Amino acid sequence: MNWLKRPLRAIFDRVESMLDAVFGAQHNPLAQLGALGWYLFWLITASGIYLFVFFDTGVTQAYESIESISRDQWWAGGIMRSIHRYASDALVLVAFVHLLREFALDRMRGVRWFAWITGLLLVGFIYVCGITGYWMVWDQLAQYVALTTSRWLDVIPIFAEPISRNFLSNTELSGRFFTLMVYIHIAAPLLMLLFMWVHIQRYNHARVNPTRPLMIATTVAFVALSLLMPALSQAPANLDQLAASVGLDWFYIPLYPLVDTLGGVTLWGLVIGIFVVFAALPWVPPLRRAQPAVVHLDNCNGCARCFADCPFSAITMQPRSDGSGFTEEAVVDPDLCVSCGICVGACPTATPFRRATALVPGIELPESSIADLRERVEKLCAGGPGGPPRILAFRCAHGAAVESVPGADVAVIDVPCTGMVPPSFLDLIVTRRMAAGVLLAGCRESECHQRLGVRWTEARVAAERDPYLRDRVPRDRVAVSWASPAQKSVRARAIRNFATALAGLDPALPRSATGSHAPWRDAARRLARPLRWAIQLLVAVGIGTLIVRYSDSPAITLRGADEAIVTLSFSHAGRLKEECRKLTPEEIARLEPNMRRPRDCPRARWPVYVELELNGKLVYRGEHLPAGIWDDGPSSLFERFAVPAGAQHLTARLRDSERDSGFDFSNTATVELVPGQSLVVGFRASDGFSFR
Amino acid sequence: MASVEWRPEFATGIADVDHEHRELIGWINQTLAAAGDTAGDPGKVGDLLGEVFARISAHFALEEHIMSARRYDQFAEHKRDHEHLLDDIRDIMDDVEAAGGPVEERFSARLSEWFGAQFRTHDARFHQRMPGA
Ligand code: HEM
Ligand code: SF4
Ligand code: SF4
Repeated sequence: MNWLKRPLRAIFDRVESMLDAVFGAQHNPLAQLGALGWYLFWLITASGIYLFVFFDTGVTQAYESIESISRDQWWAGGIMRSIHRYASDALVLVAFVHLLREFALDRMRGVRWFAWITGLLLVGFIYVCGITGYWMVWDQLAQYVALTTSRWLDVIPIFAEPISRNFLSNTELSGRFFTLMVYIHIAAPLLMLLFMWVHIQRYNHARVNPTRPLMIATTVAFVALSLLMPALSQAPANLDQLAASVGLDWFYIPLYPLVDTLGGVTLWGLVIGIFVVFAALPWVPPLRRAQPAVVHLDNCNGCARCFADCPFSAITMQPRSDGSGFTEEAVVDPDLCVSCGICVGACPTATPFRRATALVPGIELPESSIADLRERVEKLCAGGPGGPPRILAFRCAHGAAVESVPGADVAVIDVPCTGMVPPSFLDLIVTRRMAAGVLLAGCRESECHQRLGVRWTEARVAAERDPYLRDRVPRDRVAVSWASPAQKSVRARAIRNFATALAGLDPALPRSATGSHAPWRDAARRLARPLRWAIQLLVAVGIGTLIVRYSDSPAITLRGADEAIVTLSFSHAGRLKEECRKLTPEEIARLEPNMRRPRDCPRARWPVYVELELNGKLVYRGEHLPAGIWDDGPSSLFERFAVPAGAQHLTARLRDSERDSGFDFSNTATVELVPGQSLVVGFRASDGFSFR
Repeated sequence: MASVEWRPEFATGIADVDHEHRELIGWINQTLAAAGDTAGDPGKVGDLLGEVFARISAHFALEEHIMSARRYDQFAEHKRDHEHLLDDIRDIMDDVEAAGGPVEERFSARLSEWFGAQFRTHDARFHQRMPGA
């Protein structure tokens, strides 16, 4: 999959870097797609509740009630309706970009499979919500959705009678199915919320709210969109008349035209196939992962700092198992651990000052131990021929490269995440003058690959989160640099500027900090404010246009201009294969006492064979087996034909008995069809065929 | 030579904390002994101090965890003291490191004074506030 992942990652990296410059790393929407999804969900829920208050759940009144919401209270209900639709479309957009991004960043393999699989299920929920939502409007699009969904579901052989028969004509329209859709449209979002919660269960401090400015901007954008381009219904549904075309919401209904072109069975195969391929992605190939963190009880007193900091909820505090005087101990669930080392950075016994005992912390990564980290620091800081390095950099595996620049030789130590470096290491290096400065060189500021590495690293250096970097460590000798692999120049500039800043410091180290706890950082490169605002507006307008443009167009053609539709559909039970027979007293006596009955009635029925002729030409013939496992149910069918408008001579014939030629019923009719007219050829044993 | 002894009034009643206090006192006394031993290896004092620093850091971490879990009303104050005390130890460590020569008695004086005060004032209050835990 790397052939696809790598270029995708490069694209995301570039675009995100640009958006960083436009929105600022903190408010970059691409870095908080999951949170945006949650916010959109709340917007949709709130507007949905409002709409439901005015919505009439009867199929014949639904359309009118929604029209009235849009027209009579355009200033409230109308806006709510538009927000409801546009935020739903945006949710599809956000979910797919989120999916693509997690894929590109390879954050679905290993222990992250759980979020991936639950995320895929969320896509299913989004579609069920959207499709049932469009159904409720009962306009032309709803009619198309109802008919096409029914036809698509009807290829699954579990329904006794085709669902499509609910939507034969205005007079026979059954409200039952419509009401079911209303229920599903309310139940599905509730279930979806449950799954959204499950989706982030394994994340500590999961981000479920976008930053406030982003929330406000999103809301304002939707209100503006709703006023400028209100979402409206199409013409009311009319089952007796098929429109020539219908505008689709391409976020929700893009696959429906395929029901007609590919057929329902093929489309099911396609959808299930795509789902299976996506669901398999976390394991093709499986991640060759580093060993999970391990706890050394001899050095763990149960302080729970690792537990508080683990981004993946891989640590739990459990009753002490080693008989020592402590009550709790940290326990790592290897199935949840991604080996980021952030827990190690939090552990108070992971301090390099320990020398009287072996440097074994309470928790660490077997493949990059703290003792080894200290050894690497000591070795690099002993220096080569030129003496100790000016800058010692801890570089995270997911960030931009760190290279020496003229005037600043940089020694680099690779770590899984900058969050793995305990602050006491910085204390050691700076106060013992092992290097002029320490650089924590991590990945992208807007979203850390290990979720919380950037945040915890900054908070520890700023003495806002345990373990604090000691006050006494001068912060002008500790720098942070956040840069993704694509942000090479950002990194290089930071190193250059940090080296210059270090050169200007008094070489006699001050013993304690100057008061500020903030680490040194390169001035953020942001565009000029008006330019930033202009681009932000442009991005919003672009996304808004995309949503409005594809939320009800382009239209698809449903029939030729001069075509009418003939639907052959009925549900009719064939005759019983055997007549009921009176049992003789001896036969009755032979039966189990609880099975004794006077008559034996085998329930199996004959299949129903039917033919339809149009102007003397056979357009349909088929044999329909009885439903039910005992072959005792009705035979039913639902078949549509496009026919030229004008006079049509129709003949329908049917056989429902043991005879193997000839017919039990036959009717003919001549009808004058206007374009778009929907004529139903029905059948009832009592009346024969009807042509309506 | 100064040393710290466990006394019943040090007890906080919280099993973890008391257990670790006793362990700590062991480390501290070892360090004091090494510091008082003028003929000894000054490097050894530094090593032991590093160990004491680690153990006290861990000890404070545990205390803070318990305090915040039980919503101890003077958590912020106590936490601030912890941080100052850790700063003090780091200062002592750096002095020892910089002195290079034999370690003087005053370090041991600072240490024992410091530990005595720590147990008497802060933990005593913690003990009163968190009875019977
Ligand atoms: C309604 C739709 C969705 C919502 C609201 C949502 C929300 C979220 C949230 C809040 C996070 C946690 C972000 C963090 O704090 O680090 C997350 C992570 C994740 N999501 Fe989704 N998500 C949705 C759909 C999806 C889909 C469709 C997929 C892909 C199939 C997906 C895959 C993932 C993955 C793999 C992560 C984990 C990232 C990591 O391990 O750092 N999500 N999602
Ligand atoms: S941070 Fe270290 S000492 Fe504290 S609970 Fe975790 S492993 Fe144990
Ligand atoms: S290595 Fe990372 S994921 Fe594993 S337990 Fe430590 S903090 Fe959690």
